[in-house]
Amino acid sequence: MSALNEKPNAETLPASSGGAILQDGHYLAPPEDADGKVWVRTTALVQGTPQDLYALWRQVEKAPLWQEHVEEVVVTGVNTSTWTMKYGEKVHTSNSQILADEPGKRIAWSSVDTDPHEAGEVIFEPATGDRGTFVILLMEFRRGKLAAAWESLLGRSPKQRVIEDLRHFKAFAETGEIPHSQTAPHGDRGLIGGMKRSLYGENVPTPAGAVAR
Amino acid sequence: MKAVCWMGTHKIETQTVPDPELVNPHDAIIKITKTAICGSDLHLYDGFIPTMESGDIMGHEFMGIVEEVGKDVTNLKRGDRVVVPFTIACGNCLFCKKKLWAACDNTNPNAHLMEAAYGYSGSGLFGYSHMMGGYAGGQAQYARVPFANVGPLKIESDLPDEKVLFLSDIFPTGYQAAENAQILPGDTVAVWGCGPVGQFAIASAFMLGAGRVIAIDRLPERLALARSLGAVTVDYSENDTDVLTALKDLTGGIGPDSCIDAVGLEGHSTELQGVYDKIKTAVMLETDRPVVLRQAIQAIRKGGTVSVPGVYGGLLDKVPFGAAFGKGITMKMGQTNMHSYMKPLLERIEQNQIDPSYIISHRITLDQAPDMYKVWRDKKENVTKIVIDPWA
Ligand SMILES: [Zn+2]
Ligand SMILES: [Zn+2]
Repeated sequence: MSALNEKPNAETLPASSGGAILQDGHYLAPPEDADGKVWVRTTALVQGTPQDLYALWRQVEKAPLWQEHVEEVVVTGVNTSTWTMKYGEKVHTSNSQILADEPGKRIAWSSVDTDPHEAGEVIFEPATGDRGTFVILLMEFRRGKLAAAWESLLGRSPKQRVIEDLRHFKAFAETGEIPHSQTAPHGDRGLIGGMKRSLYGENVPTPAGAVAR
Repeated sequence: MKAVCWMGTHKIETQTVPDPELVNPHDAIIKITKTAICGSDLHLYDGFIPTMESGDIMGHEFMGIVEEVGKDVTNLKRGDRVVVPFTIACGNCLFCKKKLWAACDNTNPNAHLMEAAYGYSGSGLFGYSHMMGGYAGGQAQYARVPFANVGPLKIESDLPDEKVLFLSDIFPTGYQAAENAQILPGDTVAVWGCGPVGQFAIASAFMLGAGRVIAIDRLPERLALARSLGAVTVDYSENDTDVLTALKDLTGGIGPDSCIDAVGLEGHSTELQGVYDKIKTAVMLETDRPVVLRQAIQAIRKGGTVSVPGVYGGLLDKVPFGAAFGKGITMKMGQTNMHSYMKPLLERIEQNQIDPSYIISHRITLDQAPDMYKVWRDKKENVTKIVIDPWA
């Protein structure tokens, strides 16, 4: 875990942070929300080598295929990119820079001059016994208006969005597609159908992953 | 197309709905030639499984002809005849690699709902609530089948639909139940529930070497089917019949080596249903009625195995865990790892070791399905298994 000494954020992280889950063999609980900052840490066991999974994640222009709400990512430099996000009718653009880039091991990034502020770190660690790779994702948000809008409009908290993004990354990496049932045919939904869809998170469009034809 | 839709507890309607379309590269669209109503569909009918939504298409046992495939489907083509397993598996995740197909990580789009209720999500299922994936079911004229490279079993011979249809669920489910029962040659196996899964558990127990199978039910037609397979039967509805006494009497006082609970959460009893408030509000889960499970744990011999293919949904009250511990029993259970069993069981059908169509009592149309759900729930008309021809 020595690679994690570098901070993924411009801000000071909690003493135990970085995306690390272990320090000197001791389990570290995820950072706690405080001072308007929201922390999310989630992990997935993904079949694939750390190198391949790193490479897939590092292709930021492919993010719209597996990240919720991402419309387009334009690479603007070695470590910079511009992200267009869409929430319902609302379009939001932000710039992102990579702060640390260790091929096959770790990427840390942060948004630049945008509200909400968002920073993240992903770590790729070989699992024991040939079981694949532990992908550990740590994200930090400052809750601006947009974050609140996600929750109220889409029935999905920013925290859950991070969890779903990693789940979709895993499915995309392991199978080349993302499971999808939102367009399933059905009969009359009746009055409470819409409310339930929101409750189940089915109002949030599933990232495409890949096309069928 | 026409489809059988869940419109609320005890409300099933046949409606006209849009045809399914290819969405993902590993999808196939199947024109369904035969489908069936499963015992576990009754849990949806009776409102025990949360996250159903009005309009959802029912059904998870189906077979048909491949109509169209996505660009990455390599082993199927238009015109192929297939049986579709009710669990959807990706083939590539850790669990699929371990052949725990029903535990697939990548096929439930609503995995977060399962995680809230169960800690982790299993695979997606056809037509079995949004918590289990929100996929449209197969009691319809067409269905979209994801991961068609992995799931559907091609039928190359001219065996009639009715002989192979049950490879989509109840035959493998009964077989896995018997396998989970860890039967050794000569063992005595007790099976609660002589519905379709119970029937195939009985047949499979014999295939795996059971010396005696004791079948427990209350319906004469089901008990007769069980006896036709060679089982001895206990009718618990008869006056003076106590199942535990019967099982002791039939095993020299030691109890069955294996007990199979092929009933699940809808075991009949007069007990009131409790509600576990916290979970109920979180995911609308209600507690189950583990009547049969309690009995099986009590009845099993010391060191025996209890196998549970019957569906349980939520939280169980008063399970005799002390008895389970005191006797040192093994319990095995779970959704069927379909993909491991379909091919070997097809071979048994091809070799004439079993003809699964023996359990069919009713052949109906999609329009008759709503009424038949009630007949099936109430076990009227000597019903043992209902098969639907979606084009009749
Ligand atoms: Zn079933
Ligand atoms: Zn899988």
